Amino acid sequence: MAANFWTSSHYKHLLDQEDVDMVNSLDKEKGITLEDFKLIKMHMANYILKLAQQVKVRQRVVATAVTYMRRVYTKKSMTEYDPRLVAPTCLYLASKAEESTVQARLLVFYIKKLYSDEKYRYEIKDILEMEMKILEALNYYLVVYHPYRSLSPLLQDAGLNDLNMTQLTWGLVNDTYKMDLILVHPPHLIALACIYIASVLREKETTAWFEELRVDMNVFYHEMIICILYSTAEKQQDSEAVEINKILAWSVKNISIEILDFYESNRMFTEDRWNAALQKLTLRS
Amino acid sequence: MGDGGGSNRNKPEWLQQYDLIGKIGEGTYGLVFLARIKSSSNRGKSIAIKKFKQSKDGDGVSPTAIREIMLLREITHENVVKLVNVHINHVDMSLYLAFDYAEHDLYEIIRHHRDKVNQSINQYTVKSLLWQLLNGLNYLHSNWIIHRDLKPSNILVMGEGEEHGVVKIADFGLARIYQAPLKPLSENGVVVTIWYRAPELLLGAKHYTSAVDMWAVGCIFAELLTLKPLFQGAEVKATPNPFQLDQLDKIFKVLGHPTLEKWPSLANLPHWQQDTQHIQAHKYDNTSLYSVVHLSPKSPAYDLLSKMLEYDPRKRITAAQALEHEYFKIEPQPGRNAFVPCQPGETFVNYPTRPVDTTTDFEGTTSMQSSQPVSSGAAVSGSMPGSHVSNRSVPRPMNVSGMQRIPHQAMQAYNLTSQAGMGGGMNPGGIPMQRGVPQQQLRRKDQMGMPGYPPPQKSRRI
Repeated sequence: MAANFWTSSHYKHLLDQEDVDMVNSLDKEKGITLEDFKLIKMHMANYILKLAQQVKVRQRVVATAVTYMRRVYTKKSMTEYDPRLVAPTCLYLASKAEESTVQARLLVFYIKKLYSDEKYRYEIKDILEMEMKILEALNYYLVVYHPYRSLSPLLQDAGLNDLNMTQLTWGLVNDTYKMDLILVHPPHLIALACIYIASVLREKETTAWFEELRVDMNVFYHEMIICILYSTAEKQQDSEAVEINKILAWSVKNISIEILDFYESNRMFTEDRWNAALQKLTLRS
Repeated sequence: MGDGGGSNRNKPEWLQQYDLIGKIGEGTYGLVFLARIKSSSNRGKSIAIKKFKQSKDGDGVSPTAIREIMLLREITHENVVKLVNVHINHVDMSLYLAFDYAEHDLYEIIRHHRDKVNQSINQYTVKSLLWQLLNGLNYLHSNWIIHRDLKPSNILVMGEGEEHGVVKIADFGLARIYQAPLKPLSENGVVVTIWYRAPELLLGAKHYTSAVDMWAVGCIFAELLTLKPLFQGAEVKATPNPFQLDQLDKIFKVLGHPTLEKWPSLANLPHWQQDTQHIQAHKYDNTSLYSVVHLSPKSPAYDLLSKMLEYDPRKRITAAQALEHEYFKIEPQPGRNAFVPCQPGETFVNYPTRPVDTTTDFEGTTSMQSSQPVSSGAAVSGSMPGSHVSNRSVPRPMNVSGMQRIPHQAMQAYNLTSQAGMGGGMNPGGIPMQRGVPQQQLRRKDQMGMPGYPPPQKSRRI
């Protein structure tokens, strides 16, 4: 499976944080700050989740939908692509891509049930039109890899696969979709970061395991490097192994810090805040 | 569209980069066109454009199109059809997939040998086609993709040019990534055209594997050798998911009955368990595969074929193993151009080009100057995406056009849409005809009545 990810469009199109944090100029004109931008995306991720719970699709569909939504806003403005339409449409498209199709009329029904605010009111026709625009904005790349898949084999390998740890890490992975991590980091590293945080929270001793994993990862990363940089990588295998080792440790730690920072700042993300942010978009439009 | 008739209003900008030559196929999902690139860099390059209609039930882009796009965007291989572009026409909400055009497909090649030149396909060509098919399939399987609908009309072969005689696997409308599926694969409705359907599917297996594709390859291999479908069962048309007794019977007759000793998990397959049609009863004892395909039981070709047609999917040969088989190591060795052997000596056949209906524009409307209305005849054959169906049936439209009777319900559309291959369904007539001929004849019709070749069965009905 891994071999698969390294050749995927998902891997090839991972972005730098700076590219993800670019507020579109049209939105900037409306006074949308980076913080607003993040807040709205977080709110829309929640919206997708709520809607998904109504239509009863699985977490992977939600995760794919949120990823689509976040990818769209690396290319398109919220001014032109209203998040309140993009969010449900991403769920609609993701449900097809993940082979659990949800009918548009069902989504429309639950949108009405969830939000009385008429700004959320969209009809089937709107969703179908937006579906095509989103396909275009995604440049027709629809396959998304998620951390969930690596979670249970990794937990098992670490001997941490009890119910409590499983639920905790699963929940942490869910929360990572409130951020843009999936656009920036390979999913298995996100999974590792969540396991790392969970093990710290539950005071599990995992240092040895992470050490060992790094060695395994070496081999694994080594293959990947060979695969990607075939021509240049061959000759300097040893120095590279050391290098990769550092990169891995660095990434997992950094992703963990990012997640913890998010929880820290999350307390300030009140409903008023994102309502105010969304309000800016509506103004003068 | 090009300069043909039809309205030019709403002509999307992207369309201007192509010259439309004409329609080459039609299916429930929409139409397939042949076009040429105008731009100087690739001038004259042929492109097949598959147009997906917006589904009528108000559910947007068809899941078939989504599947095909999502898979083809991720994969590139010499033996897999190349998706060169995706276009959207927001005005009429239609979606277009542009592929490198392949002039031939195995269905037409086999038919040409059987009905026109009346001689078998030379060994070099059979081996090269098979090797390349396996090569593409090995790539798909190692990327966790099952094609699920391999049949001769979905196996394209490139016409003259740099890639002459190169095999391209096409029609990914049913293909799936099979790691961690959300639903059992069988919930998608039955897949794989019945003649090429693996026995585990016929016996009701819920979770199947890439081995189903290998069974289909075995059937195709035999068909390349004999020019006749190996297991021509008559399809039961009931819904949903009927038990295909006749198809199993055809298989048992040639391969003998499967046994629990040879295929232990057989016991768990629903239709075997229930045995409502007494399939457990032994009607046939001897296996006659080698005589059916006219091969010596000791030949490497026979050995490979029998390993592809192994009952137990777990024991069935994989694409990777098949590529290593002795058959490919002995002379003649397979080559990149399946039509033209490296060493001269063998005669090779010139295959006819795909017929093109030059009277239909991108909207699917037929130009006014058409002397004979396209609608009647074409609509019938057109509704039959697999070329298997389209032309051979005697003119009993309703018999053939089962798909039209199916109510437009979401789930049904979901399962039905994908029939035709880019290559496959697109050849409703198959009359060799000069491309670009300005007259408006449509092919179809004069193909009817092939002796010994009954109207084939529609597949993948729910």
